[in-house]
Amino acid sequence: MSQFRRAVLWAALTAIILLALLSIYGAFLGAERAQAFFNSLPLAFYWFALAALLVTGIAVFRRLLEVPSLLLLHLGSILVLAGGMWGSNAGHAMQKELFGLDRITKGLMKMEISDRTPQSRVAVEDSSDTLELPFSVRLQAFRLEYYTPGYLLIQSRTGQTWKLPADAGAQVSLGDLGKMTVERVFQNFKLALEEGKHVAYDAPGDSNPALQVRMEKPDGTATAGLVFAQFEPMFPEPIDLNLSYQRTVKDYISELEIVQDGKVVAAKAIEVNHPLHYGGYHFYQHSLDEDARGRYTVLMVVSDSGLNLVYGGYMMLAAGVFWHFWGRRILTAIESRRMMTPETRETLPKIAGQHG
Amino acid sequence: MAIKHTILGLLIYVTIAAYLLACVALMAGRRKVGRAVFVAGFFVAILSFIYRWYDVRHVPLQNLFEVFLFLGMICYPISWFCWRVLRIGGQWTDALIGAVVLVPAGFVFNAEPMPLPPALQSWLFAPHVTVYMLSYIFMAKAAFQAGEQLLGTAGRASSHKMSWRAGTFALPPEQATYELITIGFPLLTLGLVLGSWWGKLAWGDYWGWDPKELWSLASWLAYLGYFHWRYMFGKKHPHINSIWAIAGMLAIIITLLWVNLSRLFPGLHSYAT
Repeated sequence: MSQFRRAVLWAALTAIILLALLSIYGAFLGAERAQAFFNSLPLAFYWFALAALLVTGIAVFRRLLEVPSLLLLHLGSILVLAGGMWGSNAGHAMQKELFGLDRITKGLMKMEISDRTPQSRVAVEDSSDTLELPFSVRLQAFRLEYYTPGYLLIQSRTGQTWKLPADAGAQVSLGDLGKMTVERVFQNFKLALEEGKHVAYDAPGDSNPALQVRMEKPDGTATAGLVFAQFEPMFPEPIDLNLSYQRTVKDYISELEIVQDGKVVAAKAIEVNHPLHYGGYHFYQHSLDEDARGRYTVLMVVSDSGLNLVYGGYMMLAAGVFWHFWGRRILTAIESRRMMTPETRETLPKIAGQHG
Repeated sequence: MAIKHTILGLLIYVTIAAYLLACVALMAGRRKVGRAVFVAGFFVAILSFIYRWYDVRHVPLQNLFEVFLFLGMICYPISWFCWRVLRIGGQWTDALIGAVVLVPAGFVFNAEPMPLPPALQSWLFAPHVTVYMLSYIFMAKAAFQAGEQLLGTAGRASSHKMSWRAGTFALPPEQATYELITIGFPLLTLGLVLGSWWGKLAWGDYWGWDPKELWSLASWLAYLGYFHWRYMFGKKHPHINSIWAIAGMLAIIITLLWVNLSRLFPGLHSYAT
């Protein structure tokens, strides 16, 4: 091996070790600071040097050109690096400078749930800036889905807890404290006045989930009350337990429309794992927010710059690694099996069986 | 440490006992008994996994308890594959790995069923975790082989003695380490790529600089370094080859355990505790 090639290999090994050590260091920083660290200027030099090293490796090692799997995985690594750099904040700034492409790298859109007005303003991440998208986004509807049934969480003053499924008829013994029963489940609890009496009923919708429960004490007395998902429980007399109606969110769903020049050009009900892609941006269901003025669905808007390069690189990298380490081995095994005489082929499994 | 007084707990303890018995029998050269008990333990482990699946109503790979249950289940098929296809011995270590990974599932991790949070409701969830866990067992086996290689002449002699006594032929530890890493590394790569793709769909970033992601990158790089080193020096420095393999496994253990358990590394993957 020539001295230059040996130097390239040593440089590659050093770059690998350095990146492993930097990754471990980054893990101690936490995600936010690690991101800033890996996007800092010294690290930008490192990424460029790594890409250059990969290109040099392909240029000087004939083996990397002759063995397709090795070429694939090295080219794949270059594409991932290139895509990452192209899609970074610095990459976006460079795109603006060189090609006039003015894209928001990443930001948030806070949309009031009952407001159907199209919106195009995006609060840019890590900045106080607000920028405009070249189209608008309209929130048609928002809904939360819950796992069913929810459960009644019961906590005693001594710290004991019980969980009771929110099903009518469900019952749990509380030991010395008595017994708790779920009598009725409301999706949307309302009260009506009938003949001078308040009567509970389940109205359409799901804005006020509640449980009607009955607490039986060891002395035989019983008291009925209401436990709400969003409000404090209501009992005619104080009870010695903390009660809450817990429901676990299954999904957050925002029904979106993209409006451009007054027309709806795209629509999708987005949820976690199912973003909407339009105009060079992905729209993600990010979170749910609430303040004195209302409830908001928060969308994350992310530019897709460099993403195809990264995905292409991933595919090449994975295909190259599998082909190199698995594919070639399987082909060789098939080939050597084909070369065997029928007698040997019959004898081998027997030997393997004896030894295995 | 707490004993699980449940059917699942009982199944886990039976599997651990079977694996330990298999380990002792295989070490003592009682191959037939050892393998039979190992297989029996494997079937109980399958039963535990199916039971858990039925109980939680989703692929049970959500938290460390379920992941370790899965790890305990896949030890035998990987051991069988390594012996029958790769001619790599050390089946007693496979039984031991199986028992060791089931101990935290049986005594440490919380087994309370939890509904899947929205981010985990993805078709990528099961393949991402599965390929990672498969690769981890291959890499754990590789680390054992590397350890055997590092033990030097005494270790090699006892190993060979055992192999010959059993009338079998197995690859020498250095070569076995390499073969195992060549099987595990593509799975490790696929796990990284699938995780990255899933991260993009769920959180908007294919790389979030999360501590677990960074440790998984460090593990991947350790094995990448191993391949480059071995390409440069071949078997000239077998001890250093083995150190690379063990360093990779240490990074995997931290990725799998410490990052989830330690408050030092809060991040996106913390739900997996």
